[in-house]
Amino acid sequence: MSEQSRKTIEVRGFLHLDAAFRKKFGTIPLIMDLEEPITGIALAEKLEIPWDEIEVIFVNGFVQELDYVIHPGDRVAFLPPGCPGPYRIALGFYGKNQDNEANFKIKKKE
Amino acid sequence: MNKFIRIDMTAMKVTTEEVPEKYAGLGGRALTSNFVANEVKPTCHALGKNNKIIFAPGLLSGTAAPNSGRISVGAKSPLTGGIKESNAGGTFSQKMAKMGIKALVIEGMPADDKYHIIKIDMNGVTIEDAPAEIIGGCGNYKAIEVLSAKYGEKVGIALAGPAGEHRLPSANISFKDPEGNMRSAGRGGLGAVLGSKKVKALVIDETGAVAVPIADPEKFRAASKVFAKALLDHPVAGKGLAAYGTDVLVNILNEAGGLPAKNFTAGRIDHNDNISGETMNATITERGGEGKVSHGCHAGCIIRCSQWYTDKQGKYITSGFEYETIWGLGADAGIKDLDDIAYIDREMDDIGIDSIETAVAVACAMEGGLLPWGDGKAVLEAVKGIAVPTPLGRIIGSGTAVVGKVCGLFRVPVVKDQAIPAYDPRPVKGIGLTYATTPMGADHTAGYCISGNILKVGADIDPLKKDGQIEYSRAMQIGTASVDSTGMCLFVYFGIADNPGGYQALIDMINSQYGISLTATDVDKLGESVLKVERAFNKAAGFTNAHDRLPEFFEYEPCPPHNVVWDFTPEEIDEVYNF
Repeated sequence: MSEQSRKTIEVRGFLHLDAAFRKKFGTIPLIMDLEEPITGIALAEKLEIPWDEIEVIFVNGFVQELDYVIHPGDRVAFLPPGCPGPYRIALGFYGKNQDNEANFKIKKKE
Repeated sequence: MNKFIRIDMTAMKVTTEEVPEKYAGLGGRALTSNFVANEVKPTCHALGKNNKIIFAPGLLSGTAAPNSGRISVGAKSPLTGGIKESNAGGTFSQKMAKMGIKALVIEGMPADDKYHIIKIDMNGVTIEDAPAEIIGGCGNYKAIEVLSAKYGEKVGIALAGPAGEHRLPSANISFKDPEGNMRSAGRGGLGAVLGSKKVKALVIDETGAVAVPIADPEKFRAASKVFAKALLDHPVAGKGLAAYGTDVLVNILNEAGGLPAKNFTAGRIDHNDNISGETMNATITERGGEGKVSHGCHAGCIIRCSQWYTDKQGKYITSGFEYETIWGLGADAGIKDLDDIAYIDREMDDIGIDSIETAVAVACAMEGGLLPWGDGKAVLEAVKGIAVPTPLGRIIGSGTAVVGKVCGLFRVPVVKDQAIPAYDPRPVKGIGLTYATTPMGADHTAGYCISGNILKVGADIDPLKKDGQIEYSRAMQIGTASVDSTGMCLFVYFGIADNPGGYQALIDMINSQYGISLTATDVDKLGESVLKVERAFNKAAGFTNAHDRLPEFFEYEPCPPHNVVWDFTPEEIDEVYNF
């Protein structure tokens, strides 16, 4: 890991967040400065991504809960609800998303 | 549905019978697999006179039930040598159901080399000579135009393309969709079986047919409404598939390190942005013209995961541009240009060849030095050669296992000679168990659906670990066999897995259509029975547990970035079918 990447994280957004990131930041992945560890929730807030638009996050290729702690040098991706097929089970979403507002249960409509 | 139609291509004779009692409660895959098990000699040659091919709508096809228009096709597979059910969208299934046809069976084979059209309408079934202009290399797009002009714009068509005429083991059966494009019963070479029987196409015209009878229409409507709501309320319908198609999975699997790359030597690529569903959506939107980001492959589809992908001028190139095809050509074969991949996809549809098998075969051919890595233009020319067929076209059209042998490779990603699709079994272990054990040969759609409490099997899954994976694969395969028998698209999965009311509504629709009272347990038992029948056929055809194994290289080649290997023991793998 280079000295530079020790102080930054690499962030991606999938589904509609892909277009939103490109519009807001001009590119994907977004390389963000990060000196201290940060939770997924805090990072989402920093990037102005509503919690209910994230089912799980990926950190270094592993599916994690939203409050997972991200460290400098990590590769992060925000995944909104919308992953099809059985892959949400196969990739381990169900063990990580149960306390999440966007846990893929049927959303209550206003 | 009370008609069971047999077309004997040896005697050129059609027989319409009442549905045999043993098939009365079956539809889709349950019917095709039971029929093949009952009537096809397991040791027969798949392209010989003793194989039979059966077309069957699902239990709910032809009704107003959302997403119920899948057609199942069954036979002994020339690719795997085992039993095969392959299904597709299009218009054929609903027309069959409306005409009261439970099954169309084609058996025997003619002595001469003339190709035929089987015409089905309310007056009966006739066997006609195929128009000369659609034989001998004519593409499927053109053939559908010719047949629609001859028999009527609204007819349904099932078609063997040039690959089917050449009886190549990867040949698919193409079904005309509502706009005259194609949906494919892709896997297992059933187009070659149709070609071997000298049937170029089946044409179906339901003019004069009445609505499918429903025993309790009011109850059916209520259940259908609940079912539709379960699908539409779910984020996959609105946010996932409808906007990005199945190609939404490129970024997800890539991030998980489970996107097989460069003939399964890695699990992640750097050019995912070039080929992702998000990029496809942006490209179609930006190009405008004939492009559609969302499109249904059959009437009544409310998920609409298909799309029309266009060229730079906004002109249609291909539709139903699926993740597995884009993965195979884009990641496994390293083609970085989505337009190149789209033109190859179109060509594969036009030739009538399975896009998964062919893409994986292409990647193997690249490793074997037959094609340059990542060269989309060279692949397009090679694929065009399948229609001729050139020697290279014949090799690629014979599937991944053949390419591996021709090139002297050990890294040949197949199970039962069928190519492993777009999810690497080392870092996504549950799917690996399904590849290994399904009677279909490596097939991601064999473990796609679940009927019970999803949290019972899903809560503790870690994709890199073994825990819970056997139960996961077993439950998924049983649930899939059940849903495949209803005529439902497998994408109803999320509406029934995440919403118990959705699953009950599916059962209620079947019950109110037929005036029966199935329970969830009955539906699970149906799935189990289908798998047991299929497995028994394969056993009689010569398959043993030793065929339920992944290729050895997965055991000793770690897959980066997670650097894991396939580590299930034979005894553990055999537990999947312990039910």
